[in-house]
Formats: sequence, C-alpha cells, structure tokens
Amino acid sequence: MKNIVLTRIDDRLLHGQVIVSWIPFLNIDEIIIVDNEYAGDDFMSSLIKEASPDHLNVNVLTIEETKEFLESGDNKSRVLILSRYIENIAKLIQLDIKINKVNIGGLGFHNGRKKFVNAIHLSDSEIDLLKNISANGIEVEVQMLPKDKIIKI
Amino acid sequence: MTTLNFLLLSILYFWGSSTALSMGIGYYTLYRPIISGMITGLILGDVKLGILAGSVVNIMYIDFISTGGSLKGDQCLTAIIAASVSIIFKISSIESAAIAYPFGYLGIFIWKYRLSINTIFVNKYEEKFNNKLNPSIALFDGLYPQILLYVMSTVVILISFLAVFTFRNLIIKENIEYWLYLFGIFLLNISIINVLLKLKNKYSLVLYASTLGLVLAFKASSFLMTLFVIIIVISLSYKDVFLSITSKLEKHDNRILNKRDLFYSWFIWMNFSHACYNYERLQGMAYAHSMKNIIKKLYKDNSEIVSTINKYTEFFNTEPNIGTPIHGYIIYLEEEKSLGNKTIEISYIKKGMMGIAAGLGDSFTQVVLSPLFISISLMLSLDNEFFVAMVPIVLLGIIIIYISYTGWMSGYYNGRQSLINRINLVKKSKVKLKFPLIFGSMLGVITAKLIELNYRVISNNSFDIIAVLVISIIFIIAEKIKQKKNLR
Repeated sequence: MKNIVLTRIDDRLLHGQVIVSWIPFLNIDEIIIVDNEYAGDDFMSSLIKEASPDHLNVNVLTIEETKEFLESGDNKSRVLILSRYIENIAKLIQLDIKINKVNIGGLGFHNGRKKFVNAIHLSDSEIDLLKNISANGIEVEVQMLPKDKIIKI
Repeated sequence: MTTLNFLLLSILYFWGSSTALSMGIGYYTLYRPIISGMITGLILGDVKLGILAGSVVNIMYIDFISTGGSLKGDQCLTAIIAASVSIIFKISSIESAAIAYPFGYLGIFIWKYRLSINTIFVNKYEEKFNNKLNPSIALFDGLYPQILLYVMSTVVILISFLAVFTFRNLIIKENIEYWLYLFGIFLLNISIINVLLKLKNKYSLVLYASTLGLVLAFKASSFLMTLFVIIIVISLSYKDVFLSITSKLEKHDNRILNKRDLFYSWFIWMNFSHACYNYERLQGMAYAHSMKNIIKKLYKDNSEIVSTINKYTEFFNTEPNIGTPIHGYIIYLEEEKSLGNKTIEISYIKKGMMGIAAGLGDSFTQVVLSPLFISISLMLSLDNEFFVAMVPIVLLGIIIIYISYTGWMSGYYNGRQSLINRINLVKKSKVKLKFPLIFGSMLGVITAKLIELNYRVISNNSFDIIAVLVISIIFIIAEKIKQKKNLR
C-alpha cells in the first residue's frame, strides 16, 4: 500500500495553497483526487491533470478506484489525497484505507453549512462525520497552510 | 507631519491594501513596498529616502505570496511606516524598516479581520434578496466594504503613527539605533536565506554566490546586471512572450453581447475582484458584480435579473488574472442559456475550473512574474537608479492587465479550450522553468548592493554582523525543526 502523507478536504482541490505550499513542504510525489463526479468527466479530469506540475503524478479517481490504486503500489511513493467532500474520505476509511490525518483546508459556504472557523464552513451532518472519523483515532484538524496554527476538531 | 500628509498616507494605505479601484494591478504596484515607499516619499517630500526604505522592506517580503487570503504580514503598511520614519526621524532605511516591521502584524490583523467582517455585507445582501428588496450588488460588493476598509485603514495608520511618535525619543537614542540596525540586518538575512532554501535548486545557490562575489569584486552596476536579466528573459520567452494568445478569436453568430459588454464586465472584475473578499464566499460577490451588466442585457424580466445575479454570488475563488478564461466562457454559457440553447451546468463548470486556474495562476503571477520584475526594480533602486527602478513595476502592471484581458476575451470566443491553451502556455513557459536560477542570481546582486550601501558600518562592526548572520541561520534551522515536528 502507498504511503498517504496527508488527506486534505478542500473545495478548490489542487489550488494555490496546495501547489505552492503543501506539495513542496511534504515532498509529495503523487496526488489522488477522490471525486466521482470529475472522474466521470473527461474534460474536467484532463484539465486537472494538465494544470498540475509535471513532476507530480495526478490521478482523478472514484472512491473504488482510489482503493485499488493505493493498494497496487509500494510504500515509497508519498501520496496526497484531495477531496471536495468529507463523505468521500469517510467512505475511504470505511473501506479500510489507512489514513492517519485528515486536514481541512477550505470549505465554502452553501445552504445548510454554518461558519466553523475562518474559511471553513460545515453542516451538522459534516460535523458528525468528522467526529466519527476522529473517534476512530484519526487526527482531524483545520490548517490552511503548513505554517498556520493547527485547530483540532 | 501635517494633517494633509496624514490624510494622503491613509488614502495610500487604503488604496494599496484594498487592491480594488486600481484596474486589478494595485496588488502588483501600490501594495508593493518599493512603490508604497516611493509614494510615501512623494507625500513627505523625499522620494529617494522613501524608495530606499520601501526597497529594504520589499527585500524582507521578497518571498511574499498570498494564496486564498493567507499571508505573513502587511508589507504595504510596513513600507509606509518605514519610509515615514526614515524621512521624519532622518534615520537609515534598515533601521526604519526594523522599526516598521512589527507594524506588519497590525496590518495582517486588518487583512484577516476584513475577511471576517465583509461577511456582514454578504448577509445583508442575502437578507434583502430573500425579502425581495432587489439589493444592488454594486453597493454590497463595492461601495460599502470599501468605505469600511477606508475607515479601518485610517484607524490603523493613526494607531501606527501614534505609536511611532510616542516612542520617538526612545527610537532616536544613539544606542538603540544600533540595535535596530542589527535587527534590520537579521530580518534581511532571514528573508534572503528563506528564499534561497525555498528555491530548492543547488544551481540557484551557486549563481547567488557568483553574482554576489562578482558584483562586490568588480563593483558591477545594476544596469549591467539588469541588462543580463533582460537578455536572458527575452531569449527564453520570445516565442511565448509570457502568455500571448496566438489563436485567433472566433466569431460567433447571432449574439446579443458585444465586445463592449465584455469589456465592461472585465473592467468591473479587475476593479472589484477583492472588494468584498470574505471567508464565506471569497470572490463570490465580485463575480456577481462583474456579471451584472451581462445579465441585465441578456434578460428582460427584473426578478429574473436579480435572481440570476444572486446565483453568481456563490463561493468563488481563483487567481484573478490567469483565471479570466473562466469568466469569458461562463458569460458565453449564460448567453447560450438565455437564448434557450442547451448548455452544461454553469455552477459545476465554474467551480471545477476555479481551483485549477488558481493553482496554476498563483504559481505563475505571484511566484514568478512579481518577484522577477520587483527584483529588477530592487537591484536598480539599491544602486541609486531610483527613477529607472519604477519602469519594471509599470511593465509588470501592463503584463498583468494584458494577461487578464486576453484571457477574458478568448474565454468568451474560444470557449473552454482557451483555458487549456493557457495552462499549456504557463506550464511550458521557459521563464517559469528557469526562474529559480534567474531569481538566485538577482538575489545575489541585491545582497551585494545592500553590502555596498552599508559597507562602512559593516566593516566597522564585522564581528556583530557575523554574529547576526549566525543567529539568523540558527533561527531558520529552529523554525524548520519546529515545522517538521508539527507535521508528525
């Protein structure tokens, strides 16, 4: 199984904060974008891949494909998992994918969500999901950039 | 300092930190210490001291990038205070920058606070919309947040100057001045070492050391070094001239919108993209603001106009200049929709594209273009070429506007393919690929010019300066260890 260095939840997926700060900071080799919608959309998935830095291996995968992909490799490759939805990460954990830490980087406002802290907005059901995740012994924390303060959930 | 001076400085700080009302380039010009320092100098009657103090602050912030509203300190405020202190108290630029540095944190408080407080305008707007009161997006995205920001900027400038003048006697005492000088050197060391480490390229280090040595040994002028950089950049980029759009704009038939509508919409975006920047929706309000004229032209029914504008206030965040093909393309889709043609779901495509353009855009405009042009300016200003030093920043502004405008138009006329074209251009940009090397060399020149400027003090106190250098290195190592620990 591949080495999952960080699992991040962020509406914007591979955006500036991730490319400029997190990837060099964590020496990431591979990125998995877990997103059933984009994985089924050729244009969007190729756009995401084209836009990512060349030295990275970027994959846009469904939840099932993610499991297969992670189990197919050895533990040398350092993987960053990105997703727009907490549900996707919860499902990965249900599928016995070993995740140590869930980082919440940016979740915008939409109906049903309330402000949690700064750029993080969560609905009640999302907070429950995060509590479940952290009850499983997985660290759940809000941190936009590597140098920012960590807020534990 | 007169009341007029104070008033002008508060307007400068407001304008610089607002990044609005400046054709989208305020962030690349007014907000940058070398420019805000220069304007402070103009206001207080000593342009050269202003530029010099601004330049020193600018070196302390040379690795500055802001992504999604997160940044390390407010360089514009720091530069205004540094330049003012340097001119009014008649002390050196390094000492004034050291005095001003802590004020950067006061400024950052305002930046973050603004992101929270602007949510009020979003809520008010939503409230009015839900009560069917037809709120004007221009007021809630533009006018109100800008008035609030102006008041906040004035308060911050007032507090800063009160603090500086209160401690005036303490600051200009002989023995403290020297400590300030050493603190300034410490801050400069930290900034330059951090950038060199961040470049993660051993050849950058080699080039840094070589240009540093060469300039010091032969007293090479910054003009000569600038010429080298220009030749290298042009030879790398003459084919793509940064981002030129080679593909021709296709003509659509049976359109409602014309080029003037597109231009106006772009103009609004450029002036207001961060006017109501807030944690809840980031640039959402600005997006809707820029769509106002388009939607008004496409739809006749007033309630339809208001509700369509409202849809566009949803969460949006991208790099505002590289990302413009999104806007152009979305305008095209909205037009298609209004004509009754079948289109892709707009919100989905908008949200999908924004993150991509943001990641790629920040890594080009903020990580390559701005440090490239600003470093050239710094090399020149530290070599007493104060007025020529302004040229690179003006060029940077023009290039940003060009990138933004061409993207907007090609997004509308050439569709989503234009974003892919742009991605490829940026990714293949040779200037971007070779930038760590160019940047390393320029930092070498900048360091050499700083040493030349301060040669007398440095040679008289070489032991202290070396001690500061060692402390800076220990400090950076400690920071790195702390970061690693946080990660485990």
